Amino acid sequence: MKGKKRILIARLGMDAHWRGSIVVARALRDAGMEVVYIGNQMPEKIVDSAIQEDVDIIGLSSLSGNHMILAPEVVKLLRKEGLDDVMVIFGGTVPPDDVPKLKQAGIAEVFGPGTSLKKIIGFVSN
Amino acid sequence: MRNTNSIKKVKDKSKKWRDEVYSAKKERKQVFETLSGFPVEALYTPEHLAEMDYLRDLGFPGEEPYIRGVHPNMYRGRTWTHRQLAGFGPPEETNKRYKFLLEQGATGINGVYDYPSLRGYDSDDPDVYADVGRGGVAIDTIEDMRILFDGIPIDEVSVSLVSCQPIGNISLQSMYFANAQNRSIPFEKLTGTSQNDFLMETAITIAPGVLPPEASFKLSCDAIEFCTKYVPRWNPISFAGYNYREAGCTAPQEIAFCIANAIACSDELIKRGFDIDSFASRLSFFHSAHNDFFEEIAKYRAARRVYCKIMKKRFGAKNPRSLMYRFHVQTAGVALTAQQPLNNISRAAYHALAAVLGGAQSVHVDGYDEALCTPTELSSLTALRTQQVVQLETGVTNTVDPLGGSYFVESLTNQMEDKIHAIIEQIDNMGGIVKAVEKGWIHNEISSAAFDYQASIESGGMPIVGVNCFQIEDEEIPVELFESPETLKVQSEKLKKIKKERSAKDVQKALDSVFRCCEENRNLMEVIVDAVKVYVTEGEISKTLKRFYTVWDPPLF
Repeated sequence: MKGKKRILIARLGMDAHWRGSIVVARALRDAGMEVVYIGNQMPEKIVDSAIQEDVDIIGLSSLSGNHMILAPEVVKLLRKEGLDDVMVIFGGTVPPDDVPKLKQAGIAEVFGPGTSLKKIIGFVSN
Repeated sequence: MRNTNSIKKVKDKSKKWRDEVYSAKKERKQVFETLSGFPVEALYTPEHLAEMDYLRDLGFPGEEPYIRGVHPNMYRGRTWTHRQLAGFGPPEETNKRYKFLLEQGATGINGVYDYPSLRGYDSDDPDVYADVGRGGVAIDTIEDMRILFDGIPIDEVSVSLVSCQPIGNISLQSMYFANAQNRSIPFEKLTGTSQNDFLMETAITIAPGVLPPEASFKLSCDAIEFCTKYVPRWNPISFAGYNYREAGCTAPQEIAFCIANAIACSDELIKRGFDIDSFASRLSFFHSAHNDFFEEIAKYRAARRVYCKIMKKRFGAKNPRSLMYRFHVQTAGVALTAQQPLNNISRAAYHALAAVLGGAQSVHVDGYDEALCTPTELSSLTALRTQQVVQLETGVTNTVDPLGGSYFVESLTNQMEDKIHAIIEQIDNMGGIVKAVEKGWIHNEISSAAFDYQASIESGGMPIVGVNCFQIEDEEIPVELFESPETLKVQSEKLKKIKKERSAKDVQKALDSVFRCCEENRNLMEVIVDAVKVYVTEGEISKTLKRFYTVWDPPLF
């Protein structure tokens, strides 16, 4: 059995907002998880880092509106690498209609503005 | 307030009232404090202002210490500029939105650029395909700048370029100026502002691989120097306190970081041989209007007094305009909720009212849908109408600084001022704002404040209607969402055509002179204004700058 859960947090593409991703990263760390924060990256780099860091979960953050292009790309590349167990979650500003589309593309959960940290920690821990 | 006898009487009576009347009453919570943590008492009386000397501490509007306003008549003369932020997709589309807002009564342009343009990337860069046209308008070459302002009288309308990161600004501002020259509009006629704040590049909208703080700071000062010499009515910098606040800062940090930044720029320009009064009157500020109504008003008022003292005592400024803290306000995006989005109309109206009661020079009101998407035409129009309602219907413009003299507001202003001075001193002791960024101190301060803010929402200590109280389960969002127009294809095709038609020789020559300018440590805007005229792209310029200055990974977490 592995010990602590390892989670990679990345911001997608050129998105300029770091507040949410940093606050969530800090809350997860305080909740006892190992957090690797890599800032803004494109999907290839995110998947490379996930492999190198041997993480269980990838948390993607974006408020720029690029989510429908880049988030599914991360899942696709992960599966291509055979990393079927790595769960991908998303946080940021997403129009409500895009939530089912992201889930369809393999994102395990989408956390919109106003989501409590408790809810995110709860989801990640289980 | 120095009538000691009368103050003593108030003090005695106040104590009696507290002990005998008020103490019997229950309060609905144990601690009352502002959003930024200043304690708030049940009642304020003259005893709180016992030390105040009216002429010294408040004075008259349009006179030192400017706390009551930078103009003698404030909104009884000219009201604030209604400067609604706009920008999305290709420049052809944003040009239409600018014209729409001007037709609807907006009195200035406030143009935001897309994520790649802000960070100095071209639309066809392999790292940016998902973000082209998002968050603002995509600009790659001077041709895009021509299209963006086509048919808009830029010699009459003041234009704010929300080009926040110096690496992007140095090209975008150069394109704006070069486009004016191409339209035969002399620099003297241009009025407007560029954001151009190095903190935005290195501590606020951070990403790996940005310019090192010192280089980014140099670029911002180059733009100030250029405008001081050639574009006298342009504000070459707008310290982006708004964005510091959005990232997590408290109210006093928002002001202190801005003023510490202005101090650094002033030191640098003086080092370059300029007199403080030759440029200080053009330093401008950009602030948030957040939820705590009176704290925000106290914040703007305190900023004016702190700044006046610093420009006078520290820099010996003599021109009254150098002492004036002039600022634009945007209502707080971070305070908007995705839940029950129409509630945001009332939130933003209170924010705007605080800005006006705080004496803002121009205001942007957020669209109610901004926690969900880029504002639609309807939400942009509603936001503009909110400004017009505040201006024309509420009567708040009839007198200058209506809250001046309020025991509470003046006390809070004093507390705010003390805190701002303390933070500036802390930054001074670190060797200034550039050093404070290099060390990661600023990043740490902001993320800690952001975390505390979230913690108080989680605990319920900070009620947010629709989020942690009065929620609606399975809410249907009743707003029409913005659809971003096709941009990547449009911009890539334009770039392809321009690259084919421009002179490769001229481009190489221009890029060589940019690099040489870096080596010789001269003013980069001087050469970039010429470079963009031969259709050098924004991305080509920033790659050249990064080749010389290298890149920096900010401390992220």
